[in-house]
This record gives sequence, C-alpha cells and structure tokens, in this order.
Amino acid sequence: MYTRRSVNTVAIFLIVYLAQIMIIDQVHLPFGGFSIFLIFTLCWSALSTPEVGAITGFFAGLFLDFAPSSNGPIGQWALILSAIGFGIAFLRYGDDSLRSNPLSLVVFVAAAVVVAVTVYIAFNALLGTDVGRVAQLLRTVLGNGLWTLAIAPFVLPAASRLHQAVFETGEFQ
Amino acid sequence: MRYGGDNRSRLLLVTLIVTSLFLITLDLRGVSLITGLRHGTQSVMGPFQRAASSAFSPVGNFFSEIAHLGRTHAELKSLEAQNSQLRSTLIDRKNIETQIKQLKSVLNLAGNGGYKVVNAKVISQGTSASFSQSITIDVGANAHITRDMTVICGDGLVGVVKEVYASTALVILESDPSFRVGVRIAGSQEIGILSGQGTDRAILQMLDSQSTVKVGDVLLARGSEGGKPFVPGVPIGTVTSVPNSAGSVSQLADVQFFTHLHTLGIVAVVVSPPVSDPRDALVPPKPLPTPMPTVTIYVMPSPTPVPSGPSPSATKK
Repeated sequence: MYTRRSVNTVAIFLIVYLAQIMIIDQVHLPFGGFSIFLIFTLCWSALSTPEVGAITGFFAGLFLDFAPSSNGPIGQWALILSAIGFGIAFLRYGDDSLRSNPLSLVVFVAAAVVVAVTVYIAFNALLGTDVGRVAQLLRTVLGNGLWTLAIAPFVLPAASRLHQAVFETGEFQ
Repeated sequence: MRYGGDNRSRLLLVTLIVTSLFLITLDLRGVSLITGLRHGTQSVMGPFQRAASSAFSPVGNFFSEIAHLGRTHAELKSLEAQNSQLRSTLIDRKNIETQIKQLKSVLNLAGNGGYKVVNAKVISQGTSASFSQSITIDVGANAHITRDMTVICGDGLVGVVKEVYASTALVILESDPSFRVGVRIAGSQEIGILSGQGTDRAILQMLDSQSTVKVGDVLLARGSEGGKPFVPGVPIGTVTSVPNSAGSVSQLADVQFFTHLHTLGIVAVVVSPPVSDPRDALVPPKPLPTPMPTVTIYVMPSPTPVPSGPSPSATKK
C-alpha cells in the first residue's frame, strides 16, 4: 500500500515537473511568471498531514534542486520546501476554518509561495550568489504571489482529485 | 481543533532538514557524486527541453511580446531611427567616396599637366538668372581665384571662371553656347575653334581649310597668353563625326566632350599655368577593346546514306 502510494505520487510529481520545464518555463510570462510545480507541491502538502507534507516538500525540493535552471546547491529547495510543506500542512490541518474554505487555501498557498521564493533568494544571498537588484527581486516575488492567486484555483481541484485518488480521501472537488 | 503534531512528525521534520543541510554541504564541498547526479539529470532533461523549446517558443515569444509591448514598441522606434541614420550615413559615405574619386582624378590630371590648382566643390548647377550653362563653386576671392581662370576636372576641361565673389565663383561651362576655346588636335597639332552647343557635344571649326580631321581625333586646349582663360594641354573632347564639307571655307567636325558636366562634384581651378606646355601628355588613353569570345563550330560530314529500300537482287526471283 505504502509503495503504491509512493510510486503514484512520484509519477504525478514527475508529470507536473515535466510540464513545468517543458511548457511553463518556455513561456516568458510577465513579472517572473509562476511555478506550477511549486504551486502543486504546496497544494498537495496543504491537503496532507504534516508528515506527508514535509516528505512531499523534501522530495519535490529535490526535483527542483536537480532542475536544469536551478542555480543553488543541491538540497536548498529540499530544505525550504520540507519546512514549508510541514508548516502549511500543520497550520491547515488543525484549522477547521481553513479546511472548509477553498479560497482561504488559495491565499494560503500564494502566501506560502511568496515565503518559499523569498527564503530561497535570501538563502542564495547568504551563500554569496548574485541575486540581482532589490526592485527586480520584489517584482519577481510579488509577481509569483499574484500568479499563484490566479493559477491556484485551477490547480487545487486537480491536486485534490489526484490526492484523493492516491490517498483515498478528497476535498475541494 | 488544531493539530498539534507529535514527536514522530517533529523528528521526521528534523531528519529531513538535517538531510537537506547534509546535501547542501556535500554540494558546496564539490562532492563528485552530487555534481554527477545533477549533470545526469540535466543530460536526461536536455532533449525534452530542446523539443519543448522548439514547440513552444512561438507561444513563449507571443507572451513575451505582450508582456513587453511598450518596450518593444520603443525599441522598434529606436531601431527605425537608427536605421534611418545609418541609411543617411551610407548615402553620405557613397557621396564622399565619389568625391574622393573625383578629387584623386583631378589631382592626377593637374599633376601630370604641371598645373597649380585650387580644389573646389560644386555647390550649385545652373543659374536662375540666365539661360547660360554654369556652375557655382565654393571658392572665391578669398582663395585667390580671379576671373578667366581655367576650371578642370579629372576628365578634362570644365569651363572658365566668369564671376568671382568673396567665397564663391561662377564658372561658365564649356557646353554653353557662348563658349569658345582654341583647340589643337593631338598628334597633328592642327588648330581650330570649338564652340559649345548647349549639349554635351560641340562643333569644331578648323582654321585651315586644308586640315584633315578624322573621327577619334583628340582635342586639347591650345592655351592662351599667360594661361588665361585657358591653360595649354587640357583634354577637351574627341571627334565623333566629320560631315562632308566639300566646297566649304573651313573643315567642321562634331565633338563629344570628355567631361560629364551633369555629374560634376569636385573640380579644380588652375591658378597658375604650367612652366612648359605639356603638349600631348594629357591625352587620355584609348579604352582597350573588350575581347570577344570566339565560337568555332566544326561541321563534320555525315556518313553516306544507305538505301533503305530492297536491293534489286532481292526483288528478282
């Protein structure tokens, strides 16, 4: 049972990951665009228990760390997303108002994306990587947040259906 | 009710964070296994990315264009302005190249003839004040130009300075109907008078009725006293036709000017005549005939035809 869930989850994430690097990354969207993989991961984590959220975040982070466009050290995204995945699942799982309201979940995911991107940039800055101008960074971070607000309502039902199919529980269909 | 989490989940989180930090440390220390894994992933993803790039690049460019519409428009305007400027520069450059060519040519002629010249640029052609054929050049009294000085270009005679102003001068062209110049035929040294006709052709009238003029003869300026208005030896034109003038007092001929008066850009005013007459030294070389390819066709005799009908012996029984 555990193996089947793991394999299915990895397959789903691999498909989303390929969609990210093959389609989304090819389209030069304004304000830095968005990461469908990041949104999907955080939606998935938000629908899971904190343990699954942390593990999901960790392995999704490894996907991002191995991405061709990644410029940070391997493990950086894994560290950030395991913490945020745990956090978003922890906060959402115990809060009944968040659980019952899809809109609040969308806002929650958007905020988590902003936090994840900000922490990633801060981490890079701490490691001495040139991260660019502050205005450009602000534009990218806020752009990611706004894009997530626009995209997450479409991603969330799909993530919920797949999550239900894998874990045999479902919400927001 | 808020989920509080238990020790197991916290332990899991700590384990994942420690694992991540371990991976970061390994990567930053340059462990080959981690680097190899990244390179391997990128090698696997490369073909997918290339395929996706070729498939989705039009869509990507479309979105990029929309996103940067204002900037693209501004860039387009800027490029148009640059293009216009470059075109203008190119035209100026071509103009300058032509002027340099003309300047080299006229200096070459002046050097061969031993003329001391002042170069000038043609700043206008013709005059609205009269029907005379003239040009205005950008040198005048301030360059010690005076009336009746010979004006030449790389091809030969242009005309004579008619009026001089402070910084410009009016030159009457050799094609003007009122223009007269004493000429001699290169080689035979026979002399005549050339009259402008208002076109690029002129009429030559030989002074001696016994003179023989033939097509292709080159005419040079005979020269005036003190080199004014004409210095000797300047090429003027070539005889193109000699009408039958039996019984006439003097021999006439049609002459084609060497100088293309409609394309004058740079000219030179001869301010001092040569120390000695250059004689025929300035006669332009005759153009070399263009070799024509020879086509030789060999006609081979065809074999003797064989009668196709039945032989007489075959018909006899």
